[in-house]
Amino acid sequence: MPKTRFTQIGRAIPRREDRRLLTGNGRYVDDIEIPGALHACFVRSPHPHARIVRIDAKAALAMPGVAAVLTGADLAQWTTPLRVAPPIEGLHPVEMTTLPVDKVRFHGDPVACVIARDRYLAEDAAERVEVEYAPLPAVANADQALAEGTALVDESLPSNLVSEQRFSTGDVFARRREAHRVVESAFSQHRQTHLPIETRGCAALWDEGREHLTLHIGSQVPHPLRTQLAARMRLSESQVTISSLDVGGGFGQKIALYREELTVAAASRHLRRPVRWREDRMENLLAASHAREELCRTRAAVTDDGRLLGLELEILEDFGAYCFYPANYLARVVAMILTGPYKVSDYAFVVRVVLTNKCGSGPMRAPMSITSWVMEGTMDAIARELKLDPLEVRRRNMVAAAELPYTMPTGEVIADITPRETLEAAVTRVEYAQFRERQAAARREGRYLGLGLCSVVESTTYGSRFYKAAGIPGSGHEAAWVRIEPSGAVNASLGLGASGQGYETAFSQVVGEGLGVDPASVRIHLGNTDVAPYGMGSRGARGGTAGGATLFLCARDANEKMLAIAAKLLGFDSSEGLRMVEGKVVREVLGERIDTGISFAQLARTAYLDPTALPAGMAPGLDFSRTYDPPPMTYSNAAHVCEVELDVETGAVRILRYVVAEDCGTVLSPVVVEGQQHGAVAMGLSGALLEHMLYDEAAQNITGSLADYLVATATDLPRFEILPMHTPSRGNPVGTKGMAEGGVMGAIGAISNAVNDALAPFGVVAERQPLSPDYLRSLLRGKTP
Amino acid sequence: MDTVDFELSVNGERHAVRAEPRKLLTDVLREDCRLTGTHVGCEHGVCGACTVLVDGRPARACLLYAVQMRGHEITTIEAIAKDGVLSPLQQALHEVHGLQCGFCTAGIVMTFEAYLKENPRPTEEEIRDVLSGNLCRCTGYQNIVEAVLKVVHA
Repeated sequence: MPKTRFTQIGRAIPRREDRRLLTGNGRYVDDIEIPGALHACFVRSPHPHARIVRIDAKAALAMPGVAAVLTGADLAQWTTPLRVAPPIEGLHPVEMTTLPVDKVRFHGDPVACVIARDRYLAEDAAERVEVEYAPLPAVANADQALAEGTALVDESLPSNLVSEQRFSTGDVFARRREAHRVVESAFSQHRQTHLPIETRGCAALWDEGREHLTLHIGSQVPHPLRTQLAARMRLSESQVTISSLDVGGGFGQKIALYREELTVAAASRHLRRPVRWREDRMENLLAASHAREELCRTRAAVTDDGRLLGLELEILEDFGAYCFYPANYLARVVAMILTGPYKVSDYAFVVRVVLTNKCGSGPMRAPMSITSWVMEGTMDAIARELKLDPLEVRRRNMVAAAELPYTMPTGEVIADITPRETLEAAVTRVEYAQFRERQAAARREGRYLGLGLCSVVESTTYGSRFYKAAGIPGSGHEAAWVRIEPSGAVNASLGLGASGQGYETAFSQVVGEGLGVDPASVRIHLGNTDVAPYGMGSRGARGGTAGGATLFLCARDANEKMLAIAAKLLGFDSSEGLRMVEGKVVREVLGERIDTGISFAQLARTAYLDPTALPAGMAPGLDFSRTYDPPPMTYSNAAHVCEVELDVETGAVRILRYVVAEDCGTVLSPVVVEGQQHGAVAMGLSGALLEHMLYDEAAQNITGSLADYLVATATDLPRFEILPMHTPSRGNPVGTKGMAEGGVMGAIGAISNAVNDALAPFGVVAERQPLSPDYLRSLLRGKTP
Repeated sequence: MDTVDFELSVNGERHAVRAEPRKLLTDVLREDCRLTGTHVGCEHGVCGACTVLVDGRPARACLLYAVQMRGHEITTIEAIAKDGVLSPLQQALHEVHGLQCGFCTAGIVMTFEAYLKENPRPTEEEIRDVLSGNLCRCTGYQNIVEAVLKVVHA
């Protein structure tokens, strides 16, 4: 990163996108007016697993205003199936058609699509589509999936075990034999969903004359989505435009090309009419995408003073019925980075992923969310069994600054992180020693306080070398362009997809920094694939790190050319000593700045309108583009401390205090970063305490409304105390390390550890989430302190 | 289904509407009145994104039929900023980063525009209690609470 101090990057500027959003002038998918658009409504399976015997759409088609009823057979003619078959050992290739043809695989699976004049009519007509099903035995959970003689969710596979990977380094069996104690722990995370307040939706416009498809959609990844959509429509990438303006939350749900969206696009081409679709909340809960259902077990071989000798991990993930992503992708990252800030060289894991008759899973803000809970819960289990202080156990195992860069047993390298510093800052902030005294005093009064620690090492930004090593097709690079127009106005773009992260603000600061102009003069254009360069989109907290660096480098290219023009105009041989400061070219001579009288706008004018004044051989114009591929993996880190009070009579958990000390490197926008910290912690706590996507024993989803699927409100969440402890990364041109998912990881672990600390006098341990009152009461029943 | 003709008064303007009686207020505001600032988040009255004012009181537009609104005055987010100047609450939300994706924001602004008129000096606890009727998936609520407090203490 450059030695000079930033003047625009890191400034606390209120967001530039706020005004339109505050006044009702945002443009979310459903706000885009499309004259003559037809509306789609999907007929969905009430069965978790059934053969489709017959679909009779006569009654629906007879309704005036109904344009079409499309089935899997129709879509199979117009689109190609999705094949997910990366060359990964132990991962079975799978394929899915656009709509099911032979059988449905979960409650909510789309079987037909009604296209009608308006949404009300489309819903009425969907009720009149008669589908005859022959129910099949349903696979309701991971244990059933693995049982002998069980039904096959995907009949092309030999079993429901769609993926299995094993890894071992060192000798974990030898470490077990020589250990003072082998500590075993279990962590069961429950099925959840992203719940963006804006549900999924899209509007497709087929231009028959130009043979061009425009899809308005809220997307985190406009270009990868275009690639998918074009291929599956048998179109070229030059025949498809994705337009994603304002997006009402994504959290990982708006990455995949869903079957409904592809159906709507194909319907538009087939009918030669614009077609739009917005799912309702029940569809979003039942059938969009789920996440997180996994059981982890650890076995830690430890010395008598709590030092880790060896560690073993087993993961069993319930991936649902369909694979929109390689099935091993989420769980494997957990296994790869589990050890986080802790030193251990003997490590082994087995990761198994099974298919069940539930909605398909995908990445949700922190796809590896369970990681820190598992590792930090293991640390607490070690402390509990050896009767040691949990903070002390962490200190004994944690990597110190002098030991960095440190290679994890999986080969992952952590560098430029500050786990000890953040942990010590967080425990100092909560007055750890005094807390133990308060806790003891409270216990004497029959009140049960708990404190939970959770250190997070967050994998934020995957470089293309990580993808290559993992055998996953794709790249981690990002692309940007910067154009200075003849008037001096600055346009810039990159291939990310915004969904609330304040990109227009943070990235205008990055461009302003690189160019030496006021960020207010920079406009960031996002989400339209005809405008933005082909980038990899927003996922995995890569925006600031990959996107910020790319855009900064691109702006520096522009700055260099402009200063070369300035040097020519000033009659200098080189631009050495010239700098652009607040839109003016200055000369730095012996530490003093001398105004040259040349402005940014004058250089822009010259570049476009007076090319003969440019240095010899320089091309006219100020049009720059750049790509950047980050290191294989970038890590940031944080320490979370959560204090709770557990009401042992009711099982209710109240959060008394929540502290986060975080180091995410150079901060582009402190406003945005703090907002992301709050939001991530909130999502973690909400999931750990309340949210639960529930299927009954017959695999019927029984959480189809927001009265059933509970999510945290303002009264459920505490005031977060944030300690910014950012130190720049040396591996990134701007120094950023990425963030926005680690808050989820930390919250899940900190709240669990806090609740277990409160439960400690009763000799019980919560190994499951959500930490609901009924679950905690079930642990406490019949127990006395 | 047959349509009915009726007048709707929104933000002080009269709109002649022809719609089915079952058409929700959310859909009539967005499609017939072309006021898309009122967002639809759940259509069952839980998330609060569609909150508008009916005769000055907050109401969930997804739980009302437009035809029921004859003779009532509807206020939507589009009427809150006056002559391009943000209301104190909108301004505070901007200054303290009280919104991220912005989808739930209109409902929250409408809820508190009404609430603060009747309760100009709420405590943080009271603010959180009122805010608990609106779901926000991005902010963790803290900066929304800050924004309301900022208005209260202005």
